[in-house]
Amino acid sequence: MKNYHPVDEEPPTEKPPFFKTWKGMYWLVLGNLAFMVVLFYVITKFYE
Amino acid sequence: MRPLDWIVLLGTLGFIVIYGIWKTRGSKDIEGYLKGDNSMKWWTIGLSIMATQASAITFLSTPGQAYEDGMRFVQFYFGLPIAMVIISITVIPIFYRLKVYTAYEFLENRFDLKTRSLAAVLFLIQRGLAAGITIYAPAIILSTMLGWSLTATIMVIGLVVIAYTMSGGTKAVSVTQKQQMAVMMGGMIIAGFMVVRYLPENVSFGEAVAVAGKMGKMNVVDFSWDWKTSWNDRYNFWSGITGGLFLSLSYFGTDQSQVARYLGGKSIAESRLGLLFNGLLKIPMQFIILFIGVMVFVFYQFNQPPVFFNEGTKSKVYATAHADELRSLESKYNDIFEQKQQAVHGLVDALKTEDEAAIAAAQEQVNAYTSAGKQVREEVKGVIQKAVPDAETKDTDYVFISFIMKYLPAGLVGLLLAVILSAAMSSTASELNALASTSVIDIYKRSVQQDGSPIHYVKASKLFTVGWGFIAILFATYASLLDNLIQAVNIIGSIFYGTILGIFLVAFYLKRIKGNAVFYGAILAEAVVLYCYFFTDIAFLWFNVIGCVAVVIFGFILQALIGKKEKELVA
Repeated sequence: MKNYHPVDEEPPTEKPPFFKTWKGMYWLVLGNLAFMVVLFYVITKFYE
Repeated sequence: MRPLDWIVLLGTLGFIVIYGIWKTRGSKDIEGYLKGDNSMKWWTIGLSIMATQASAITFLSTPGQAYEDGMRFVQFYFGLPIAMVIISITVIPIFYRLKVYTAYEFLENRFDLKTRSLAAVLFLIQRGLAAGITIYAPAIILSTMLGWSLTATIMVIGLVVIAYTMSGGTKAVSVTQKQQMAVMMGGMIIAGFMVVRYLPENVSFGEAVAVAGKMGKMNVVDFSWDWKTSWNDRYNFWSGITGGLFLSLSYFGTDQSQVARYLGGKSIAESRLGLLFNGLLKIPMQFIILFIGVMVFVFYQFNQPPVFFNEGTKSKVYATAHADELRSLESKYNDIFEQKQQAVHGLVDALKTEDEAAIAAAQEQVNAYTSAGKQVREEVKGVIQKAVPDAETKDTDYVFISFIMKYLPAGLVGLLLAVILSAAMSSTASELNALASTSVIDIYKRSVQQDGSPIHYVKASKLFTVGWGFIAILFATYASLLDNLIQAVNIIGSIFYGTILGIFLVAFYLKRIKGNAVFYGAILAEAVVLYCYFFTDIAFLWFNVIGCVAVVIFGFILQALIGKKEKELVA
């Protein structure tokens, strides 16, 4: 059976493309979601 | 179907399958067969994740849903990007560190063998049934519309998927999904262009969208909330961002058919990027598919739509004593359309003048004819129910395929059918691959045959792939004998999904709760869900939440009791 490793131990990973840290990448995805929600809201109101 | 359609259809599917088998030939060990030698790049992972989620029914039903209900279904996916970020931060590093083949393997590291086996068995039951439906649902629609034999359609989809999934394992699934995804998106975008091209010459693209808006189809986002009624509204911003988040977390974080896609990544970075790629593109993709459905709706404002889109069911009614009743309603529907068409052209003219009063008057007239048409469609459904009592009266799944068959030129029909069959094969392949890997890694290798050679486990995986494939074909073949089959499978899924998610939530975030507490907590939670199913009227979607929350609560209570007993024993 494999050993149990604590879940909060962050292993070393490569850097993401275009950003210095993964945080930037995550904010890109969340920012894109926010942008789309706003865009869809504008579309909804415009064509109402 | 014309000869050119057959050439395009068979050429496209044949190329994808042969390329997949050739590219992934010769996997000699279990690492290569079930994890693709951890060689997948992020774009392959991302496309594979998207192709797994996009089943044939996505491409058949989603445009039909937009035709009937507008764009608001896109809100269902608002929680998905957040789930992708959470899984990238928490789940992926753990799975990589433990070098697991399946999600359930992690549960033995965190808890114990019995909890791992429980989660694996729950997954096998629900996914085994779902694989049959993934084949059956498009097969019933394609066989009705194309006049193919239902059994032959099921056998063709099933056997082709078994062949390449068994031959190349996880890598074959991902490699073929890359091509399938390209066919799916390319085909859908071409279909979108064709719908817009078929609009009348005096109606511009902008005016077509404006007409859709005036007829209530551009309702993309709804922020409103009413404490009494909004709970029943499946698609609004709030249900999308919360319900969609929970659903995506359980689907992408604990369902092996998705976990296997990113476990095959070259590194943590590649797997994360694959998931985030899905987080970036899933909503725009759904938006495009829904928008094509809206454009089909606009197309049918200028061209006579059938009174009922499922021609197969209509033919059955014509063969009964209710045929005249249906003919009379059809003629009434066509008369309403003739009058409505003038009103729609009036609306377009009013939109050109930008005269608000004229637009409002034309809109009112169009809406009145639309309501009258809807009323006739409801009467038609009543006649169908009387004439063919076991027939499905919901025809939205047939809207898009009916448009394809009737209006698209030779070659494009073949391409669009390749889109639908590619989608059916891509999601079935992921399911068979996940069922085989869970059967081998979590049950066979762990509890039956622990000291086999790598070749032995590859052979076992291939046999399990074939076995699950035939179970899926068998289930799909006899599926028509059951009533409300899709709903039945959704209910079975909801009965187990909540408990599985609960076990994983405890594993990831509640370190105080140990193996025995979560195992017995999960069994009690499952009993609560089953009680709700058999003895209450609670809607089945809530079983996901109830099961998940019950595991956490029972886990806490049992851990407190077990901890107290252990302290007493030590004392």
